[in-house]
Amino acid sequence: MPSTLTIPWGNADWNAILPLGVVALTPLLVILADLLLPRSLRRSVVLALAALGLIYAGFLAARGWGHPYSAFGGGFVTGGFTIVFQEIVIAGALFSLLLATHLGRDDQAGGAVALLLWSASGAMLMAGAANLMTIFLGLELLSLALYCLCGLAARPSAREAALKYLILSSTASGFMLYGMALLFGATGSVQLSAFAAPAASPMLFTLGSGLFLIGFVFKLSLAPFHIWTPDVYEGAPLPVTAFMSVVTKAGALAVLARFAYAALPQANAQAILVPLWIVAALSMIVGNVGALAQTDVKRLLAYSGTAQLGYVVAALAGTTSLGLRYAIFYLVAYMFMNLGAFAVVALLSREHEEGSHLSAYAGLGYRQPVLAALMTFFLLALAGLPPTAGFTGKLLILASSVDAGYAWLAVILIVGTAISAYAYLKIVLAMYARGAGAPLQRALHPASALPWLGVAICAIATFVLTFYPLAPSDVLPLVK
Amino acid sequence: MIAALVVLPIAAGLALYLVPRSAELTAKWLGVLVAFACFVIAVLGNGQPDESLRWLQRPFTANLHVGLGGLGYWIVLLLALSTCCALVALRIPRQRDFVAQMLLLLGAMSGVFVARDLLVFALFWDLMLIPVFLMLVAWAPRRNTATAWRYLVYNLSGGLALLLATAAYGVVEGSTDVIGLSVGHGATAIGAVWGTWIFAGYAFGFLVKTPVWPFHTWMPDTYADLPPPAVAVVSAVQSKAGLYGFLVVTAPLLPDQMRAATTLMFVLGLVGLVYGALVALVQDDAKRIVAYSSLSHLGLILLAAFSGNPVALAGAAVYIVAHGLFSAGLFIVLGQVEEREETRLLSRLGGLGEIEPKLAGALHIMVLAALGLPGLCGFAGEILILTGLYQAGAVWPTAIALVPIILAAAYMLRLFQHFMHGPPREDIPQRPDLRPVELLALAPLVVAIVLLGVYPGPVANSGVVAGPNAVVSLAIGARR
Repeated sequence: MPSTLTIPWGNADWNAILPLGVVALTPLLVILADLLLPRSLRRSVVLALAALGLIYAGFLAARGWGHPYSAFGGGFVTGGFTIVFQEIVIAGALFSLLLATHLGRDDQAGGAVALLLWSASGAMLMAGAANLMTIFLGLELLSLALYCLCGLAARPSAREAALKYLILSSTASGFMLYGMALLFGATGSVQLSAFAAPAASPMLFTLGSGLFLIGFVFKLSLAPFHIWTPDVYEGAPLPVTAFMSVVTKAGALAVLARFAYAALPQANAQAILVPLWIVAALSMIVGNVGALAQTDVKRLLAYSGTAQLGYVVAALAGTTSLGLRYAIFYLVAYMFMNLGAFAVVALLSREHEEGSHLSAYAGLGYRQPVLAALMTFFLLALAGLPPTAGFTGKLLILASSVDAGYAWLAVILIVGTAISAYAYLKIVLAMYARGAGAPLQRALHPASALPWLGVAICAIATFVLTFYPLAPSDVLPLVK
Repeated sequence: MIAALVVLPIAAGLALYLVPRSAELTAKWLGVLVAFACFVIAVLGNGQPDESLRWLQRPFTANLHVGLGGLGYWIVLLLALSTCCALVALRIPRQRDFVAQMLLLLGAMSGVFVARDLLVFALFWDLMLIPVFLMLVAWAPRRNTATAWRYLVYNLSGGLALLLATAAYGVVEGSTDVIGLSVGHGATAIGAVWGTWIFAGYAFGFLVKTPVWPFHTWMPDTYADLPPPAVAVVSAVQSKAGLYGFLVVTAPLLPDQMRAATTLMFVLGLVGLVYGALVALVQDDAKRIVAYSSLSHLGLILLAAFSGNPVALAGAAVYIVAHGLFSAGLFIVLGQVEEREETRLLSRLGGLGEIEPKLAGALHIMVLAALGLPGLCGFAGEILILTGLYQAGAVWPTAIALVPIILAAAYMLRLFQHFMHGPPREDIPQRPDLRPVELLALAPLVVAIVLLGVYPGPVANSGVVAGPNAVVSLAIGARR
């Protein structure tokens, strides 16, 4: 048969993956630069190259707006949804680069940045993945690079973090693969679009989708699959933690949403998804309660991430189109407020010590008033207090849950928010309370211009999104 | 123009951080100037057309809608006046930061009373927590932050319940741009099930904020620990937000639920009325006496708000402003006593009237206004409320409400007697009498107390107090 000998994909197919192709190929240039340039120039050139590659990819992705296309026989779908998630991934990666002024030693910078970009390209693939194989490909590309990055820092907890992440994440991948096999067995297809038809064996299908969802719930670190997160966040270098807290989540959420919205038979979709809403509710409570006891800001943000992603998933309850838009809005808001907080931590970091312990914040309001005020702003945003995007985002989620008939989720969200205020404002209290004795004098990190840029952008975005809640309108349908 | 009431103080409060920390006097007089400017803007802005910008289109309509009129106008005047007076005689460590927080508080609270959209109302409702929390943290006596937490936990719970109720109202009604409308006049009645829950959410927020027994336990500590200028503004205005909410939000929009809750609220109001007065009788800390007297007085206003009688409602409007005036005055004078004598315990003070006659005179006027002497503002409100309650057929509640009014004379005169009469105590510092600037701080309040006492008409008639639409007109005059 001659058709098997020709490559059946045309230009349009390759165009569809061009943005993530750019992100995946930029690391080659990065490594080359790392190899050829003198040590003094390396870090800045490497960071600049990576940023340019990401910005170009972002531009390419945005160009596809309004031209949905199903590439590679339905394996990769472009459209509003894909583009929005790809842009979130790109923005998250760019912000992580801003914090990467002290990522690893100088001779590690090139490799680390390359891994970061490969990981981002995996998340971008997940954003458009519409069959089980592309999903798995994207997920592994994302994860493999992260295993290495987690162990980058020269401290024992880094190795613990990397190993813990590797083992637990592989286990989750195992669950997911088994689920994928069952899904294939039940439907005879790997295409998500084929799952919407009633399965030959509904029992098998339900079991398969349950295992499949567990894999992604793990990646989103939703309770009760969140136990790994605080340790990994604490051990990984700060830019990598920041990257994981947004990019991994965006990639996993894209797949989860696509699966929940487009890959389930109409008849029993809501029944299959009920455990997911329970997981979201659990995350909102467990994440916030866990955050209460933390004295390390990175660990606190890990628990906070569990709760925040719980809010995002709660927005999907009932799988309404409004809910999807608000989930995306909240994810974007979360990206800005969360990365803003990470950027402040980066500014407080010194050569061998990350500024994430609560003691680094004691009296900060009197030593660094501007930085403390901005940190307060981001923490208020995470707690959902006005005037921040967190407030508007939570309101929209509340409204859409009530609208979709999930008022109980809205009530749990409110309870979780009340608990979370205590966790976040604990840091505010440390910054403004007059502690005993003279406050520790800490100089800011010398190479601190780039994190300041991150802080500024995040603060402006967090404020502006309060009053202009730009929820993308053109996100459905998710498969063709 | 009306939006300037919110934007100007907040912008000025943030800009104040640019003033050098050592320029304490500059900061203070800038603060006074801004507060006075707000007063002028409010006077000029009364009756001006509303200002509105689109905020949300889906899942319900919400506008950044502000307007000035009715009861809100008088409270905004009270707010600007009390802030102005509190700042004039200010002497506090880290004065610049304090003035900045006071201006942020001024802006946030103005927002509550000019909001014409429930969502804007909820936004400022939560926003006004933050400056008070920060002041409790940064100026806590004995570095005791437990009060700050208690304030936050109570008020944020109330604020979140209110936010959830707002989201639910928006989903059910389709728009939150409804303050100033009423059922049958632009707004539709909410059905029984949703209406009850929405009312419960709002009522919880309002009861905690006022506070009404049994939600008052945060209040005595907060009032005792806040610096006097801040507590003057908080007790004068922030505690009125809950009552304003009952009159302006729930009475017109959820009238059936209001009626259904009358008995419950009467019980809560009466218990608070009697309990507050009894506890005030035995307190040793002067600030706590005033705090518990507030609990008592605000219970009376709650009765009026739920009586539905036009005369009582007019009385509620007068008494809201009156209580704001004399409680601001009382707390400012108590601050002046404490500044001189380094204590505010009744058992430690005595005979100040001989050493500091002007201070004694100022305290005398405030005390008389608080215990309801005819000719001063307290009496005008009380007599209207009691007459209205009697007219509404609530004979027993009226009779019970009379008792605490007599007790008010007892605890207020006890306070005055311990402070000013008797032989001068040997063991307290002998300090000079009120400075001219301190008299200047009290003069406007005294003038307003007398004016409102002899001519309460404009406040009482801030709505056309007649007909079934009385409450709405009380709310904002007429919606423009």
